[in-house]
Parts: sequence; C-alpha cells; structure tokens
Amino acid sequence: MNYVIALVLGSFFGFSLNKAGLTKYNKIVNQFRLTDMAVLKFMMTALVVAMIGLYGLRGLGLITFPPVPATYIVGNLVGGLIFGIGMALTGY
Amino acid sequence: MNWINMQIRKELWSPYVAGILLGIVGVLAVLLSNTLLGASGAFENVAGMIGKAIAPKAFNNMYFNFIMPPGITWGVILLVGVFFGGLIGAATSGTLKWGKKDAASGDAQWKRIFGPQIWKRWVLGFLGAIILEYAAGIAGGCTSGLAISGGMLLVPAAFLFIAGMFASGILTALVVYRNRY
Repeated sequence: MNYVIALVLGSFFGFSLNKAGLTKYNKIVNQFRLTDMAVLKFMMTALVVAMIGLYGLRGLGLITFPPVPATYIVGNLVGGLIFGIGMALTGY
Repeated sequence: MNWINMQIRKELWSPYVAGILLGIVGVLAVLLSNTLLGASGAFENVAGMIGKAIAPKAFNNMYFNFIMPPGITWGVILLVGVFFGGLIGAATSGTLKWGKKDAASGDAQWKRIFGPQIWKRWVLGFLGAIILEYAAGIAGGCTSGLAISGGMLLVPAAFLFIAGMFASGILTALVVYRNRY
C-alpha cells in the first residue's frame, strides 16, 4: 500500500517537474545565469504551499513530522557548494 | 472540462502552478506515508544493493549499513513514479519522442555553447551527475530531498544547502558561459 502511494505521488512529482520545464537543460542553467527564474519560483512556491499545509496539519494534530534532515553546518554548506557545480554542468 | 484538458496539454505551466502541485504532493507524502520526498537517496539505496551483491566487503561500511541501507525503499518506488510522471507530462504536451534522440537538437542553447557533438553531452552529463550525487551524499540530500523537503519543515540545513548551491552554481555558469551567450 505504501508503495502504491509512493508510485502515485512520484508520478505527480515527475509531472509537475516536467510541466514546469525543469527537465530541460536550459531551464536549470539559465537559473544560474539569472536569466530565467523558473527554478526559484517553482521551489519557493512548493516550499510555501507545503509549509502552510504541514504546519497547519500539525497544528490540528493530524500529523507528526517525520525525522528531519540533519543539520551539520560544514557538511550542508560544502555539499551545497559542490552540488551547485554539478547542477550547473548537467542541468539536472 | 474542456479547459482542464487544454491546461493539461500545455507544454509549459507557470512555475507557480507546478510549484503548488509539488507542494501538495509534499504534504500528502507526510500525511499518507510519514515520509519526505527525495530523489538522490534512492540512487544510493540501489547502488548499495548492487554493491553488496558484487563486492560485499567494500560495501560493508557504516555508510551503507546504517545511513543509507540498501534495498527497494519508498524513495526508489517514488523515483519510478517520477519517471512515469515525466513520461506522462511529455506525452500530454506532445513532445514525447521514441527512438534515438538527437541530444543536441532539442537543446539549441547547449549546441551553441559546447558544439553539436552528442558525446560531449553524454560525458559532461555523466561527470556532472557524479559530482551531484557525491555532493548530495555529503550534504544529506539533494534539491528535492534536502532543499524542498527540509525547507518545508524549516530545517536550517536546507537553507544552508540552497545558499551553497546557488553560490557555486552561479560561479560555474559564469565560468562555462563567460561572454559567449
């Protein structure tokens, strides 16, 4: 049952990425060239919608948060720095 | 109904609309499965599985035993779904093509910068993907698993990661493109 949910949610995930154009090389690279802000618009909209939903549902007592990604400042920052290089090269 | 049909057939949505859809998916993932979305972890799960089958000694370390246990996890299934979702997205906008794809033809911008050779696209894609996955391993997630999933729970790690990603991404794009475009 959990796998069915994963499959359905995954396909909506892929669908939204495709329709936002983020499966294309130039969309990703142009974000880093600051000529096309689609990636940032997409990410921040998703963040805000999900934040409202998750904190609202937790406020109502319907969900508890799953284990959150760990914060270790150097690792997160260095990882992000290397990640950006790969992202700008491949357009992933 | 006609309007919905027309919207689904559009090739490019406003990123805001697509973002709202992803936000809802993110909420549903927590509500229904108590899991966060993520993409890069799934590759590590599968890699761990293959590695343990081929070279069990080399993969018998803390990282693959505890941090990223191998196996068909929720994330792996999610990734299969992402593949089909992308397929459906392309099919509905009529841009889905079967057979050998001319990697450069669909990417006028890529062609202008790197030339028309397809092998360059493959090599750069392969090397870049290694960098990506390695960095995701260090940071503890990728754009979806850390930046979006972490960000929606207001985890500090996510915002550190986004800052780093944009800083080096912009620099890399500057180096690659210089004054050429």
